[in-house]
Amino acid sequence: MKLCVSCGMPMGKAEDFPLGDESKDYCVHCARPDGSLQSYEERAAGMAAFIVRTQGLDEGAALSAAKTMMSRLPAWRGRS
Amino acid sequence: MTVRNRDNQKLQTRRRIIEAAIRVFSRDGILASATADVAKEAELSHGSVFAHFGTQAALIAAVIEDFGEVLARRLHELVSSGAGTREVLQAHLDAIAESEDFYARLVVESSLLPAGARDSLISIQSAICFHLSSVIEAETESGALRVMPLHLLFNTWIGLIHHYLMNRELFAPGASVVERHGRELLDHFMYLISKGG
Repeated sequence: MKLCVSCGMPMGKAEDFPLGDESKDYCVHCARPDGSLQSYEERAAGMAAFIVRTQGLDEGAALSAAKTMMSRLPAWRGRS
Repeated sequence: MTVRNRDNQKLQTRRRIIEAAIRVFSRDGILASATADVAKEAELSHGSVFAHFGTQAALIAAVIEDFGEVLARRLHELVSSGAGTREVLQAHLDAIAESEDFYARLVVESSLLPAGARDSLISIQSAICFHLSSVIEAETESGALRVMPLHLLFNTWIGLIHHYLMNRELFAPGASVVERHGRELLDHFMYLISKGG
């Protein structure tokens, strides 16, 4: 099973891929509506907002954790 | 040796180090263990461990991520096959039970870990939240679950499980606390969040 290069999510079915395109290496949640990969800033903000909504962390702590997680993923390796 | 064989060997050595680290961290504690202890357990040179993980923090983060990756794959398959909240939480408990000694150490030491390793723990929680939120939202919508903020629901679950893990010697001396109390905790949590509870 492929792992999203941007967020690490497992991608097993067509609906996990942007516009159902299984040749993509990133998932539907990391894509813009037109199927292109979100920018680093867009993805970091999206991931931080998700952490705040589901785990209740402080916004700054959530953004910092999101960036650390992203820095280990192939699409964003080395970014911070 | 071909490039592919070399890559395979590299991956196998990395796997061997991670598995040795899990055993050492489980037995001696995460922060109390040195990379030299892990090298000895893996029957590799200290240099070999350093070649794969430049720092102790990188090794700790890799071990936590490995646990998270296995859990994420399992939850993803479950949710994709139409499982509900109870099944997802049960899978979470099963994954913890399989690595309970390590996970309990992680919970106890999390606030003292290097920032990168701590973020890896948040990453595990995010993977659980990601899969849990979709089933919870569907079951809330259908009227099966009470309406409540996701973060409070999730933190109540984590708080309950982690409390038992942090005090496992009081709740289940010398045994698996998940095996002994997991069913009761899951029943209780489902009672709390269910509309008919």
